[in-house]
Amino acid sequence: MEAETSEDHLKVQKMKKKVLRKQVRAQHTLMRHEGIKCIPHATQSLVIANAGLGNGMSRLQLLKILEEYGAMETLLMPPNKPYSFVKYRTTEDAKKAFNALNGKEVTLEDCGQNIVLYINFVEKVSLQNAVPTSLPPGLMVIEKIISPEEERKMLESIDWKGDEDTQNAQKTLKHRRVKHFGYEFRYDNNNVDKDKPLPGGLPEICSPFLEKCLKQGYIKHKPDQLTVNQYEPGQGIPPHTDTHSAFEDEIISLSLGAEIVMDFKHPDGHTVAIMLPRCSLLVMTGESRYLWTHGITPRKYDVIQASEELGHKVRAITADVGDLTLNRRETRTSFTFRKVRRSPCNCIYPSVCDSQKGQQRPVQPSFPQNEMEASKLEQEYVHKVYEEIATHFSSTRHSPWPQITEFLRSLPAGSIVADIGCGNGKYLGINENLYMVGCDRSKNLVDICGEKHFQAFVCDALSVPIRSGSCDACISIAVIHHFSTAERRLATIRELARLLRPGGTALIYVWAMEQEYKNQKSKYLKEKNGSKNKDKEMNTGTAQRPFSDQEPDNSNQDSAWSDQLLKGLKDESCGAKPVADFRLPVHTNRTSFHSQDLLVPWHLKSGAKKKEESVDTVLVPSGSKESQELNPVFHRYYHVFCEGELEAVCRSLDCVKVQKSYYDQGNWCVILEKL
Amino acid sequence: MKLLTHNLLSSHVPGLRPGGGFPLRIEVREGKCEGRDPPETPPVPAPPSPLRGRGRLVEIPLLPFSLPPEPLPDYEANEEFLRRLHHVLLEVEVLEGSLQCPDSGRRFPISRGVPNMLLTEEEA
Repeated sequence: MEAETSEDHLKVQKMKKKVLRKQVRAQHTLMRHEGIKCIPHATQSLVIANAGLGNGMSRLQLLKILEEYGAMETLLMPPNKPYSFVKYRTTEDAKKAFNALNGKEVTLEDCGQNIVLYINFVEKVSLQNAVPTSLPPGLMVIEKIISPEEERKMLESIDWKGDEDTQNAQKTLKHRRVKHFGYEFRYDNNNVDKDKPLPGGLPEICSPFLEKCLKQGYIKHKPDQLTVNQYEPGQGIPPHTDTHSAFEDEIISLSLGAEIVMDFKHPDGHTVAIMLPRCSLLVMTGESRYLWTHGITPRKYDVIQASEELGHKVRAITADVGDLTLNRRETRTSFTFRKVRRSPCNCIYPSVCDSQKGQQRPVQPSFPQNEMEASKLEQEYVHKVYEEIATHFSSTRHSPWPQITEFLRSLPAGSIVADIGCGNGKYLGINENLYMVGCDRSKNLVDICGEKHFQAFVCDALSVPIRSGSCDACISIAVIHHFSTAERRLATIRELARLLRPGGTALIYVWAMEQEYKNQKSKYLKEKNGSKNKDKEMNTGTAQRPFSDQEPDNSNQDSAWSDQLLKGLKDESCGAKPVADFRLPVHTNRTSFHSQDLLVPWHLKSGAKKKEESVDTVLVPSGSKESQELNPVFHRYYHVFCEGELEAVCRSLDCVKVQKSYYDQGNWCVILEKL
Repeated sequence: MKLLTHNLLSSHVPGLRPGGGFPLRIEVREGKCEGRDPPETPPVPAPPSPLRGRGRLVEIPLLPFSLPPEPLPDYEANEEFLRRLHHVLLEVEVLEGSLQCPDSGRRFPISRGVPNMLLTEEEA
């Protein structure tokens, strides 16, 4: 007897040791992975390892377990985590729960699996409050659009078994069953054969429902394609956007048989999980249809809001950890109605539009690796942009820069002067005793010069159609920084020198990497409010703005790529070639530069005239449809020069000598003399 | 485009013989002429820099003016010549038409007084 008892005793001791060991391990894990600090003395609050939504514990079951030991203040169940927090009214109750439950084996009600709870005290239960989540723009969920009776009839109308080998497109995909009506949706090309309608059209039973949708204004056009999907628990559909060229804007989907959580994701990574209740209608239009992806995660339980406001289940699932639970999935059947598109899609989301592929510009180009890529980059991110923004750009460029004016005024009367990259021609009329000709790559800008009766023509700075040695002077203001390789920058200076007669001079300005020099911030950095400055300029007529780059507003463009770039681009200055293939970072206007090669946003002012075709709608994060249409953002490529870099390039040419080299308001400048 | 501008321009189509591409042939559909030939006002600004290099003046149809084909040997002192030169170079403008490369035949359009000298990607 005694032996047996001591054996039992030993067993209990062993068990206790094991529980303690596991409890301590849970402490460490919580600290290491979650930063949750467990404490040795008793408090009101406990962290319960292995009792989380992430490992299959439902809110209901955990509540039942915990309430045995006293009244609780809060129960927090963070989504996807294998632990929960509970706070009892009294420390006594918390101690009771701790003693009773630590090391206790529990069978999960939903899946029948056994787990062991390990419990620790924590100082307090605190997790950041959830931010209310809003639905993706253009998305609606209409509850109880059909009655249970209509639901039953529609479900019964789908014969999943009978026609396995008929022409009616039915497939058992890996993750779900599908059936198509009207047109077959082809999973090989994610499109429909628009000239091959399926016989029979849409099932007659859908007609009253569709009539209702039209009448209520949920849709404007009657759909002609229906896909029925059936999802068993554990099945799903990968995140996708319905092919733009295949279907019109409105896509509606009816949830039958059971509710489910659908995940929506914006290209910027923002996700919203949305509960689709049984008998509800999901309407996707605009941004939610074209830009966001939607999908159903294959799993058997959805994390959902525990409380229901008056039976309202329609909402984005927030991260309110005090109000989440698990919801077991049931068989859900969806009826998705779409209208086959007969003309190419012309949505305002070209980056994700298959109809607009080819016309679209990559959101961010890479640093060019060869001559062809360089030329392409400049084509897209310099030439095209200036064409588009010409009018608005020109309206922000009217004050000549004093030291350039001085250079032009110092030239002898009768001098022939070429302004290579003259923009809107603001230097062409500075000194009427000169014969100035301007040229620019942008036809729209040169046309503005023409309207002002200046001599100007369209050409590229790499190949200027002016006779060699025919100019007494040249200026190149804010031009060379738009060329994307050291070779091309050198070539433009060589071309400039070619135009000069011996003894002729050239003035070159490029944007400087150093926007703060000798403890002085450039005007570019100082002018935090461009529009204010503009007013001032118009009032006094004397204020100066650096020509390099004045943005009409001070918007915070995402510059998330800067760090990445800094790594890839250490010392590209002075001819050293970067090796890494990296995406060009986007500069934040009116801040210091973090990289020499970058994209600088131009925010086109609404109302500014621009060409209608090919508007570059670079995606403004969280931008609504309207804001994108009204204020498109264009990105221009720049190579900003480091101190000494411009001078070094010039010195590498034998035919010129550097007369003067200086810094002027965030620009590096040289005056060259042709030998 | 004033004719002095034309005098500076040269075709830049790749592969031309050295010194080729000049002078560009002018085709005029619409032009403009200020002042009179010979002009009565003295040239302002001062006479432009000497016609550098080959100062051959080009036949321009439709625009009436009279100049000798080559600059006179002592043209800098010849006020009559300078006045005429001023008129032709600075008061005559081509508004619509084209410039044509004498060697390759490539045409560059002039529209609203602005020549478009841009080469296509294939050409450049």
